[in-house]
Amino acid sequence: MRPSLLSRIGLLACTALLLIWSLGPVYWALVTSLSAPIDLVSASPHFFPVHPTLEHYRQLLGATSFYEGSAVQSVWPQFSRALVNSLLTSLLATIVTVALAAVGAYAFVRLKFPGRNVLFVLVVASLAIPAYTVMIPLYRLMVSMKLIDTYFGVTMIYVSAFLPLALWLMRSVYQSLPLSLEEAAWMDGAGRTYTLFRIVLPLAAPGLIASAILTFLSAWGQFMIPLVFSPTLSTKPLTVLIPEFVSRNYVDYGLMNAAGMLAIIPPIVVVLFLNRYLVQGLMAGSGK
Amino acid sequence: MSSELVNSETALTRAGNASAVNSERMLGFAFVAPIVVVMGFLVFGPVLVTLWDSLHRVDPMRAGTPFIGLDNYRNLMSDARVLHAWLNTLAYVVFAVVLETLGGLGAALLLNRITWGRRWLLAAVVLPWALPPVVNAIVWSWIYNPSHGLLNSVLFSTGLIGAYHVWFNDRTTALLLVALVHVWRMLPLTAVILLAALQSIPAELYQAARLDGAGPFRLFSKVTLPLISGGLAIALSQSTVFAFNLFDEAWILNGSSLDTRSVLIQVYMSAFQDLRFSYGMALSVLVMFASLVISLVYVLRVYRETRYD
Amino acid sequence: MKRNMLVAAVAAIVLCAALPAGAQAAAPLTGETISVLLPPWATLPKDMTDRFTAQTGIKLSLQTLGWDEIRTKIITASIAGSAPADVTEVDWSWVGQFGMSGWYAPLNSMVDASAAKDLPETAIFTYDKKLIGIPYNNDFRLLIFNRQHLSAAGIAQPPKTLAELLADAKAIKEKGVVKYPLALPLSATEGTSTSWYLLTKAFGGDLFDSNLKPLFTSPDSAGYKALAWEIDALKAGLIDPAATGLKDVEVQELFKNGQASFDVAGWAGNLSVYTDASKSKVASVAEGALMPTVSGKTRTFGLPEAVGVPAASTHKAAAEAFVRWFVAPENQMESYTALGNLPTRTSVLKSLNDSGKLASGKALLAQAAVVEPLFRQGTPTWYPQFSSAVSAAINQAAKGQLSVDAAIKQIAAQAADAQAQ
Repeated sequence: MRPSLLSRIGLLACTALLLIWSLGPVYWALVTSLSAPIDLVSASPHFFPVHPTLEHYRQLLGATSFYEGSAVQSVWPQFSRALVNSLLTSLLATIVTVALAAVGAYAFVRLKFPGRNVLFVLVVASLAIPAYTVMIPLYRLMVSMKLIDTYFGVTMIYVSAFLPLALWLMRSVYQSLPLSLEEAAWMDGAGRTYTLFRIVLPLAAPGLIASAILTFLSAWGQFMIPLVFSPTLSTKPLTVLIPEFVSRNYVDYGLMNAAGMLAIIPPIVVVLFLNRYLVQGLMAGSGK
Repeated sequence: MSSELVNSETALTRAGNASAVNSERMLGFAFVAPIVVVMGFLVFGPVLVTLWDSLHRVDPMRAGTPFIGLDNYRNLMSDARVLHAWLNTLAYVVFAVVLETLGGLGAALLLNRITWGRRWLLAAVVLPWALPPVVNAIVWSWIYNPSHGLLNSVLFSTGLIGAYHVWFNDRTTALLLVALVHVWRMLPLTAVILLAALQSIPAELYQAARLDGAGPFRLFSKVTLPLISGGLAIALSQSTVFAFNLFDEAWILNGSSLDTRSVLIQVYMSAFQDLRFSYGMALSVLVMFASLVISLVYVLRVYRETRYD
Repeated sequence: MKRNMLVAAVAAIVLCAALPAGAQAAAPLTGETISVLLPPWATLPKDMTDRFTAQTGIKLSLQTLGWDEIRTKIITASIAGSAPADVTEVDWSWVGQFGMSGWYAPLNSMVDASAAKDLPETAIFTYDKKLIGIPYNNDFRLLIFNRQHLSAAGIAQPPKTLAELLADAKAIKEKGVVKYPLALPLSATEGTSTSWYLLTKAFGGDLFDSNLKPLFTSPDSAGYKALAWEIDALKAGLIDPAATGLKDVEVQELFKNGQASFDVAGWAGNLSVYTDASKSKVASVAEGALMPTVSGKTRTFGLPEAVGVPAASTHKAAAEAFVRWFVAPENQMESYTALGNLPTRTSVLKSLNDSGKLASGKALLAQAAVVEPLFRQGTPTWYPQFSSAVSAAINQAAKGQLSVDAAIKQIAAQAADAQAQ
């Protein structure tokens, strides 16, 4: 049944609506970040920058910044440090989480040991516990172990937060792999560990990538945890620096949006190029 | 009779492969040991500590941690700010679940129908989910700005409002606008879950129903809905849990204002502004129980699925 | 034999411990980097920070953060035993809490008797005989107004009583000069609380008595009347309804853009910024006047700010060098002209006034003469919790969610709650 013209138009309209809804705010932030300050306070909205300018980005990335008309120290050192912190903690958390999940999920699926099911249910059930409810005792624990404001401390908290989802994902990936492949390897005398690393993992690569992407994006976007556990610039990520920036530059909307745009570059890159894995991961992670 | 055979077979296997079973066990333990350590230290341990400490008075500025029983909980019940926070959170959950489910379903249906360029549309739909919530809040707070924001100028120039509104002056509007930012971020998750569920429905079912003379509405309610009910259940419980955890959006958009304060913001404020740790811990215990009860659906489904191994 | 060796060993250890301290004092601090955490109005211009580095060789990492966010940042880091920065802001209202917890290194050695005379606010920043911060911003409140708006409404002189202020604002609004003449913050931030305290003083009363019992609970008390005045002004359209989302620094922007006629709880130092044509659109018409009160006899209170060195800092010597530099007379002067931080050194204030560089100097000095502290006995440790309860209640009252009566009751209840801890 060929779709009628009406339904085609309807489809197009709905698609346009969905696109405006999903991308509109990001586009608006981009326009704002490229607009001169005078245009931002004008009465009517301009959907394209009237006087495009790079001054906001120059302030963030350049040698001097401006505040209330006078030139002040560049914010780039703080910005770049926060960027490095974000990258480091997100990457570390991703590597550790995926490693633990890849190995652990295999045990949950293929190996029999007492308490396997109970443990798995417990770990995945912790997804329902808001990570923040354990924040205060975690804080005191980290204080006593002197792990506040350290990469190790924050990374391990991220791992504990994102491990359940990664485990769930990898488990469903392993379950979908036919046992015959592994059995063939065992027949040939391969050990369990060898089978896991040489045969199963390469096949489960898409799942690994999906877990990595999900973990990276979640860690990159964390706010409340680093707000508490990374108070100083030694480990402060971009997500904490930017609202601080906002609290100081309360009128400079172009600057705030520019800072926001810089912070979303990695997620946009991931969504553009690794979209397939991301969606796979989201679908699998939702318990098919 | 056959069972006796099976029993003796397994007994033989057991005797012969006792060491194999044992080494499998050891390997299993070894593989999950790091997970146990991490989750034990950083999740389960702290949960138990929270439960225990909520029965004491733990303040970083004062010495000693005396046992005070259920005093913290009693004070929480009578604290007007905490009650405000619960109501706000309830509002967030309701707004979020309704809007995300309806919008997500619509988006999923649309994505299912589109064949050309689906990959790009999907990328666009997923983008809001991938961005740091903090940045979303900043972007949307600029849109909501009373004097120069896009919302006011668009509504004003299309004649829908008579004058620029200060949106965050009215509590209901404020809650709705904060929830909207949250929905913008979480809708893609629901959409993807439901899309996966939609794609698992075999086309023949639709053909058969059409042959029986069903129109689009009957198709939806008799074929689609029942078959995606599993995905719907998961999407609903995910939406609920995430809405319970709402912090970033409310904090950046409206600060500590009581109008939009969620329970997690109240936990954070009790701990780090009022410096009353055990009070915050008692509140987080209540949040945890509420969240667990509501997402029982999810946990039960997980258990049912693992039992089939 | 063994005992001698023991004594020698102990002596050696003691010497080794003493050496680094001595070495530190002798060696220049060149190449060290210190982090400095200050509010927006202390965002030092590049020439100043470069000059500091040139003079001392110490590199500065200046982090500025909204004032309301700084305290939580200090707390989260300090409880964990790490320094939020090497130098941080220490506000008068935090002295009780921070002093009691011992998070700041005593700076008594930096201020001798004669310096203490020149820096009178050091008394406010002393807790239990320890000086935890050196004052750098001599903030007190007065009325700042836009002369042009007043003339356009036919008003010759700035108001001396609160009734006159209200009438003037109404006249300005009626003449269509400006839509919302009164600039007052009403969001749940500290600026809202301090403006209410100011108005309480203007109504002839105080917040607490000498036993720290609230004085604002009865309807004929100053505090009650002050809140009622604010809400009535808001309802009469004299305050921008968007003020419920604005901090004090944001309503100051309204004044700077000529969108408001009265900066009611105006910061004394801000006059230098308001009268700077490169920073404000009302440079030629911004003036300061004595805070109007009900009786006509002006009152105000002081909210000085200091810089302190956290005890957990690992660069204490360099941090102290910065503090010393920051409150040096010439830098206080530049901090005033560039950023609006009124100097805390009486000598600097005098020389600024003598050279005519003190904007609205006459009014400023007259107002400075009657500055009172908000808490005569020193800031209590529960002040921060009380203050945030105040601003939350005022915010709700401004949004119409609480009546003035209910708001006052809520403030009183939470004051009692805060004091009980």
